[in-house]
Amino acid sequence: MDADRAALETRLSRLLGWEKRKRCEAILTVALFYALLGALAVPLLVSVSRGWAWVAPVAIFILLTPCLYLARRWRDRDTARALAALDRALHLDERATTAWEFLRRNETQAVALLVLRQASDRLKNLDARALFPRSWGWRGWLLAPLALLWLGMLYFDPRFEPQGAGPGQPPSLSQNLREFARRLQEKAQREGLPRTLEAARELERIAQRGMAAGTTDEQIRSELAGIKKKLAAERNAAGKGAFGPADSRQQLEDLRAEVEAARELLKQADGEAWQDRLSGLKQIEKQLDRQGLSARALNRGEMQAFLDKLEQAVAGELDRRSLQETEQFLQQLMQRGQGLQRDARGRPDGNREEDGPDDGKREAGPGATAGEEPGTNTGKAQPLPDVKGGLRTQVKGSIGEGERSGIFFKGKPAPGTSGLSQDEVIASYRRQAEAELNTEKIPEQLKDTIKNYFLSLEKAQ
Amino acid sequence: MDSVEDIEQRIARAGRSFAEVKAEMARRIVGHEALIEQVFIALVCGGHCLLEGVPGLGKTLMVRSLGEILSLSFSRVQFTPDLMPADITGTNLLADDPSGRKIFEFQRGPIFANIVLADEINRATPKTQSALLEAMQEASVTVGGKGHHLESPFMVLATQNPLEMEGTYPLPEAQVDRFFFKLLLEYPGREELSRIADLTTAAPPGALREILDGAAILEIRSWVREVPLAETVKDYAVRLILATHAGPETDGSGVEIARRFVLYGSSPRGLQSLILAAKARALLSGRPNVSFEDIRSVVTPSLRHRVILNLEADAEGISPEKILAEVVRQVPEVS
Repeated sequence: MDADRAALETRLSRLLGWEKRKRCEAILTVALFYALLGALAVPLLVSVSRGWAWVAPVAIFILLTPCLYLARRWRDRDTARALAALDRALHLDERATTAWEFLRRNETQAVALLVLRQASDRLKNLDARALFPRSWGWRGWLLAPLALLWLGMLYFDPRFEPQGAGPGQPPSLSQNLREFARRLQEKAQREGLPRTLEAARELERIAQRGMAAGTTDEQIRSELAGIKKKLAAERNAAGKGAFGPADSRQQLEDLRAEVEAARELLKQADGEAWQDRLSGLKQIEKQLDRQGLSARALNRGEMQAFLDKLEQAVAGELDRRSLQETEQFLQQLMQRGQGLQRDARGRPDGNREEDGPDDGKREAGPGATAGEEPGTNTGKAQPLPDVKGGLRTQVKGSIGEGERSGIFFKGKPAPGTSGLSQDEVIASYRRQAEAELNTEKIPEQLKDTIKNYFLSLEKAQ
Repeated sequence: MDSVEDIEQRIARAGRSFAEVKAEMARRIVGHEALIEQVFIALVCGGHCLLEGVPGLGKTLMVRSLGEILSLSFSRVQFTPDLMPADITGTNLLADDPSGRKIFEFQRGPIFANIVLADEINRATPKTQSALLEAMQEASVTVGGKGHHLESPFMVLATQNPLEMEGTYPLPEAQVDRFFFKLLLEYPGREELSRIADLTTAAPPGALREILDGAAILEIRSWVREVPLAETVKDYAVRLILATHAGPETDGSGVEIARRFVLYGSSPRGLQSLILAAKARALLSGRPNVSFEDIRSVVTPSLRHRVILNLEADAEGISPEKILAEVVRQVPEVS
């Protein structure tokens, strides 16, 4: 009888152990479910980097799990429920429930022994795991899809900042380099600059490799130094070309546009009409003058050859200047990293009042707000301006609103007269603005405002 | 001290006796299997039953048959408004003793039987009703200042006619509460009616076999009280009782329908009745312990006369059976 009693107690204890284990698993499943939900919600509320994206679910999980364990800890009534479920499942008419109570009270009456014996006989082949298998519940089934969704978001959602930068930390050298390389590639493809495109691809490869392998800024800097030398060598090999520093980039771009136009004229115009029309293209005329030529003295074939040569020269010059700018950027990037290191070593409190920001960015604070008096940045979101046709409208904004990109150069303006005319500057800005308007970076409701601004500048002229 | 084998034999004997009683009753009574079981449960628990049903459903026949099978004495009292307590309990009559002196001799009334059928109990005056109810409660009667014990086992089966309420004296709630079960006799179905016709219009069936005697009933009655009840099952019974209440005593376990329609919930006597009946059912089913199902199956006969409904329930036609069914449905086995 004692053996029966011990065997029954073991079987029932095993059942209760299994139920407790299932409870633990259910608690962990619920905690994990809400942790993943939280992880999905966090990027909607705040901007986080991929490196920090793991923190939210882990924190929720760590905080939630003890609370759930406390709220759903195993109690006597859970034991009663488990035994009642066993009685129901095996049609024991509460023999298991009664037997468990007799075991706890160590009852020795004949009727109690009879109940224990009957329960023991009926539970001889009890397999708790088979009888009460795990049930994951809807939260359990949603875990895998949620995890996949979150991982997908982590790698594809632009709301997550690139890897390595935590909240409040400046982007690493690799990240800066990758951003720059991508923009440079776009520009090179758009403007047809083969050497720049090749250099940009090389830079992106270095950046990607650095981010994937966690390469230190120091190693990246040494690689960049090598690339910079290579670019300088390429630029020198290309030679000075037919253009000098006096020829602005804008002029070169205008010249390129005129060459395109001239080609069209040569194709379409009959007889000598193209020569009359060609005389309206100022930049080409300037180039002809520079080489001591005249449009009227050239026939159609000679003009075609001249235009081909001119186009190659312009493209080469633009490519060369682009490489030069790239070199300058790399130089700044390398200096910036060293500057930051110096700051970190020399001034741990981060006081950078004397030198100003090394990366050329304006810091948030008094005076950082565009269109406001210095020191009046309230930090509040500004409403859209009330744009009226024909009137100049000032678009207020502040640094720090939304995404922005660009290359910032630090330097003191040289005294003297500007080499660029106001018309050229406005036309250049307008082209840039139009290019930006075609991208998704400008909010839809502000596109008209920007367009109207440049139209108003033209009218003012 | 009893051994496990003794207990097993007892349980088997009780179960076998009940099965034989049922089989023998079926020879004379058509249908009413649940009713017969409940009457037998009340008998082995030492309780009394209030039977409610229209005339001609076989109430008297059932009670008389039960008396025959159990070889118990049986008496029937037809309650009328002019029935006096002495007509039930008996009275002292003037008689001559052997020496010729005049003495008072107690003449036993019909209450002195093992099974008493109190037909249409609500037709008698409250004074007469209370005399019967006192006998039910105390198992004794007092006549002329002298107490007389009633024979054991003693069981009263009182009947009520739910149709004719004119000139009746409805039993007060406190007195109804003393009945262990209140049982309703339902009208027989088509097949049952057909069988009744065959059974009662042909040659009368032979006499019923005696299966149990008074001593055996008393023995089973003592076994019933030894049936163990798990704390979990007892807690279920307690929560069921509390759930019939509308007030704060429900301990938050009240049921909405009870809160709305119940004026007074079940008394503690209802809980005693519920648990005892469940124990008897377990024993008669051949089990050594009480199950949740035992409790559930005796909720209605144990509590239907102990749940007092309010006027709103009357107006909406809500019956105690409906309230109890909802209570059983909503109260979980384990809290």
